[in-house]
Amino acid sequence: MKKIIKTLILLLVAVSMSFAQGFKVKATGEQTFNFEDKRNQVKFFSTTPLEDITGISNDVKGKVTLNVADIKSMKGSITISVASIKTAIDLRDEHLRSDNWLDADNYPEITFVLKKVGDIKTLEDSRIETKITGDFTVHGVTKETIADVTLTYLDASEQTKQYAPGDLLGVQAKFNIALSEFDIENMVVGQKVADEIEITATLRGSNAK
Amino acid sequence: MNSKQKFIIIVALILLAAVLFWWLASGGEILSKDGIWLEQEISELDKALGLEPQKIYQEKFILGLLPHTTVISGIIVVVSAILFFIFKSKKTKEKK
Repeated sequence: MKKIIKTLILLLVAVSMSFAQGFKVKATGEQTFNFEDKRNQVKFFSTTPLEDITGISNDVKGKVTLNVADIKSMKGSITISVASIKTAIDLRDEHLRSDNWLDADNYPEITFVLKKVGDIKTLEDSRIETKITGDFTVHGVTKETIADVTLTYLDASEQTKQYAPGDLLGVQAKFNIALSEFDIENMVVGQKVADEIEITATLRGSNAK
Repeated sequence: MNSKQKFIIIVALILLAAVLFWWLASGGEILSKDGIWLEQEISELDKALGLEPQKIYQEKFILGLLPHTTVISGIIVVVSAILFFIFKSKKTKEKK
């Protein structure tokens, strides 16, 4: 009986291992990546018949932990400060930070907390494509959001040292949100800013301690 | 001021009001831009990391009103002024 149970457990482990999808790189086990590179960028894009507006923040912070052999185990969060968002018009940036819009005094941060990694499509040994479900919080309101994400794992090399010591994780993510779902509505400038905003994150993380 | 001159002034004022309305409606051009976004050339390492080109902010003052409305308003004022004086001259000649 014990043998049967052991065999079943081994079989289950083997089956689960075969479904686990990961990077085929030198690194193994759990790795934690810190996203502190000043070049990291989160972009907000609104388009209306009247105007296209691009807002960008380079004040991005975050941490992601994943098992190299099982990307679905990934956990972490990314945060940007509202005060750091620039739209190329200083007065508009002030409006953006005001309590009519993002209310930076009361809600100084925009956060994405990773909850679930969807189906994984392997593009290369070190690159995968997936959909990541997470809690996106802006203006004090949290909504579940799904982002299209490409992850690239680079083992430490002479090339990666240009950015940071350790292995690097590249994250290219894109998702859309509706401002009205986050209680952000402003009739005065409503026609200039679309309700649907496209958010793009371009991030580099390092696992150096 | 004869009736034609009055007509020119009214038409010019209506056109200027329309331009003003357009200026107000196209809100982005109300404000002058303090900077521009330039697409950064992607590095080899960023390519290897699967990242897309980013934008970098560059300080550059762009007067918001000038490109669209000042030029059009200026043309309306100049054309109206020319027509105003043409009709004034004609009237003077007619009187003589």
